[in-house]
Amino acid sequence: MTRTRKPGVSRRATLAMMGAGAVSFATPWVARAQAKTIKVGMPTILSGRVAQLGTSSRNGVMLEVEKVNAAGGLAGRQIEMVIRDSKGQPQEAARVARELVNTDGCEILIDAEASSGAFAVHEVARDLGVLCLHTNSETSALTADPKQHIPNAFRTARQGVHDSIVGGSYAATIAKAKGLKKWATCSPDYAYGRDTTAEYVTYLKRFAPDIEIISESWPKLFQPDYTEVVTKILQAKPQALYSCLWGGDLTSYIDQANIYALFSQMEVFAVNMADYTALTVVKNLPKGIHSGNRYIKTYPATPENAAWGDAYKAKYNEYPTNWSWENATAIMLLAEASKKANSADGKKIAEALRGLKIKSPFGADGTVTMRAEDQTLVGYAIGWGTTIPQEPYVPQVQAGDWKTIFELEAEWKKSKGYT
Amino acid sequence: MTELQAEQGVQALEVPHEAKTRRNRDALIALAVFVVLALLPTVFSSKLLLDFVIRCAAYGLFATSLNLLVGYTGLISFGHGMFFGLGAYGFGLMMQKTGVPVPVAFVATLGITFAVALVIGAICVRLKEIYFAFVTLAFQMLIHSTILSWVSLTGGDQGLRGGIPRPPFLGIDLSNQLHLYVASCALLVIGLFLMHQIAQSPFGYTLRMIRDNATRASFIGIDVWRAKLTIFVLAALFASTGGIIMALFVSGAYPEFAYWTISGEGIFINMLGGVTTFLGPMVGTVLLLILNDTVTRLTDYHGLVLGIVILFFAIGLRKGLMDFVVEWYAQRRSGGGERG
Repeated sequence: MTRTRKPGVSRRATLAMMGAGAVSFATPWVARAQAKTIKVGMPTILSGRVAQLGTSSRNGVMLEVEKVNAAGGLAGRQIEMVIRDSKGQPQEAARVARELVNTDGCEILIDAEASSGAFAVHEVARDLGVLCLHTNSETSALTADPKQHIPNAFRTARQGVHDSIVGGSYAATIAKAKGLKKWATCSPDYAYGRDTTAEYVTYLKRFAPDIEIISESWPKLFQPDYTEVVTKILQAKPQALYSCLWGGDLTSYIDQANIYALFSQMEVFAVNMADYTALTVVKNLPKGIHSGNRYIKTYPATPENAAWGDAYKAKYNEYPTNWSWENATAIMLLAEASKKANSADGKKIAEALRGLKIKSPFGADGTVTMRAEDQTLVGYAIGWGTTIPQEPYVPQVQAGDWKTIFELEAEWKKSKGYT
Repeated sequence: MTELQAEQGVQALEVPHEAKTRRNRDALIALAVFVVLALLPTVFSSKLLLDFVIRCAAYGLFATSLNLLVGYTGLISFGHGMFFGLGAYGFGLMMQKTGVPVPVAFVATLGITFAVALVIGAICVRLKEIYFAFVTLAFQMLIHSTILSWVSLTGGDQGLRGGIPRPPFLGIDLSNQLHLYVASCALLVIGLFLMHQIAQSPFGYTLRMIRDNATRASFIGIDVWRAKLTIFVLAALFASTGGIIMALFVSGAYPEFAYWTISGEGIFINMLGGVTTFLGPMVGTVLLLILNDTVTRLTDYHGLVLGIVILFFAIGLRKGLMDFVVEWYAQRRSGGGERG
C-alpha cells in the first residue's frame, strides 16, 4: 500500500494548532470583579537555593487564608491564592506579577520575593495600581525612601534598620558589661550583608563608642567552605564577632567553626540564628550565641504565638520561618482591613490598611501596626537572646524597645535624606 | 549542509541589482510583519499577548544577534549576555540620572555598548573556540561583579530601583503598555531586518567563510580579526537593544540581566530554534517563552520539563526546530529547499 501523505504534521494540522494557540492567548478567561472569589496573586521563589523562602511563605499564607475563608472570606468573597514561581529572577518576578494581575485576574498581590525581585514587583504595582503587600523584603529603602513610595504598596515584613538599632543597643550593653572592645564581623558579600553590618556597627558604636572593628570578612553568598574565614577571625583574636549570615550559610559556618572551637573563644552575635531554619539544622548548636529573634514560638512568650507555631508544625510538619510569620501577617492585615472597609476592593482596603492596628501573635505587645506614613509594619516582636542546644533554643529573649527604635529610625531617615 | 553552502556561494556572486531587489523584498516583508504585529492588539485585547511580544522582542533580538556570532561566524560566545545587561543598565541609568529624552538615551546606550564591545572584542576575537568562549564568559562575570560592587551607581544586587522614568517624545509614551508594545515591535522588526541584511551581504558570506575555514579566508586576503571584531561589535549593539527593551518592560535593571544565565538562555534558544537559519533563534525565543510561561503556570518543577525538552532537542533531534522544519520542507518539495 502506498502512502499518499508524507510523514509529519500536515499543513492543516499546523494551521489548526496555530489557531488554537492564538485563541488561547486571546481568550480573556478571566471573570473579573463580579466573581464570587477574590484571587490573590503571589509571586515567590519556589525553586533553587532559597526555595524554602517560597515554601514557608506559602505555608504561612495558606494557614491564614483557610481561617479567613472559614470565617467568610474578604467581605464575603472567598480568597483564592494563585502562587507562582519566579525562580528568583527579577524579570520573571515582574512577568509573573503582571500575568497574575492581567491574565489570572488577581486583584491583590502578595509579593513574597526577596531583594531585587521585590523591587521589580514594586514597579509592576506602580504601573498597574494593584494593591501589593511586600512580605519578604527587609531592605529599608523599599518603604523608607520616598522615591519608592506608592499609595498601593505596603510592607508586612521586618525592616533592616529596626534590626540594626535593636541589635546594636543589645550588643553594646553586653560589650560594656563584659568589656568587649575588639570586634570582628563576618557577613555575606552582597547588599543585605554589607548594609546590615554597616548599620549594626553604626549603632553598636553609638551605644558603646570605645569598641573597634579589627577584622572584617565577606564570604560569598552560598559559599560552601568557610575554613579561610574562620582561621582569619581566630588569628585576629577578637573578643566578639558579629555575623548576619543566614540559612544554610550560617549553619555551614557554625558547623565548620565548631571544629576550631571558635565559639568558646569569643562572644558571637548572629542576628539570623534564632530561626528554626538555622536552629534545627546545625549539628551541634553551641550554647550562648547571641541572636535576634527571627521566628521562634517561645517569643513573644504568649499562648497565641505558641499556638500559632504548633498549628503550623502540625499542618506542615516543620516549624515556621521568619518568612512564615511575615506572610501570615499580610493575610491577617488584609482580613482586618477588608472588614473595616467592608469591601474587598483594593483601593478601599489600602485606605483601611493605613494606620491599621491588629491583634497579632507576632506583636511585641500583642498587636502590630501598619504605620500610615511609610506603609510599613511596626510593633512586631523584636529582641535578642542567647542560644541553648535544645528546645526552646532561645529561652530568654530581651525585648527591643520600640520607643528607641522610632527615635533612632527617624534620625536615620533624616541622615539618609528621606525626610 | 554542503549543498547549502554551495548554494550560498552561488548567491554571493549574484549581481548587485538582484541584491537590491532582495533588499526591497525584505523591507516589504519587514513592513508587513510590523503592520500585522502593530494591529494585533486591535484584534486581541489580551494584555498577556502584549507582554509576551515585548519579551519576545527583547530576547529575540538578543538571541538572533548571538546567532550572528555562533551560527554565522562560528564564534561561540558564552558572554553575550553582558551586552544585554549593559543595554539595560546603560539605558536605565541614563534615564534615571540625566533625564535626557528617550531617543538620546537609546543612542547613547548603543554608543557605550559600541565602545565596550570594541575593547572586549579586540581582546577576545583573537582567541579560538573554547578560549574565546571562556574569555567572553570571564568578561561577562567581570561586568556582573562590577554591577554588584558599584553599589552607589548601580544599586548593587538590588538593581536600579525606583522605576525608569520615560518622558513622552514625539507623541510616544513608553509608560503606556500599548505604546511600548508598538515601539518594541518596531525595534524587533528593524533589528531583524538589519541583521538579515548583514547576514546576506558579502560581509555576511565572509563570516561564513571564516566559520568554515579561517585559514583559507586569510589566504585570500581577508582580515579575519577585523571581520570578527566587526560582527562582535554589531552583535553587541543588537543584544544591547534587547536589554533596553527588557529594562523598559520591567522598569528597572537587575544584575541578573548581566549574569551568565542570560547568555546560557541565549545559547539554549539557539539550540532550540536552530542556528543554520536566520529565523531559527526567533522561533527558538517564541518556543522557549511559551514553554517557560505555560510550564511555570502548571508546575513548580519547570526545570525538569525544560531539561527534558532540551535533551530531546540535543539528543533526539540533534538540531534546532527550524533546521528540522527547513529540512523537512526541502524533503517534501523533493530538493527545492528554501532558507528563511
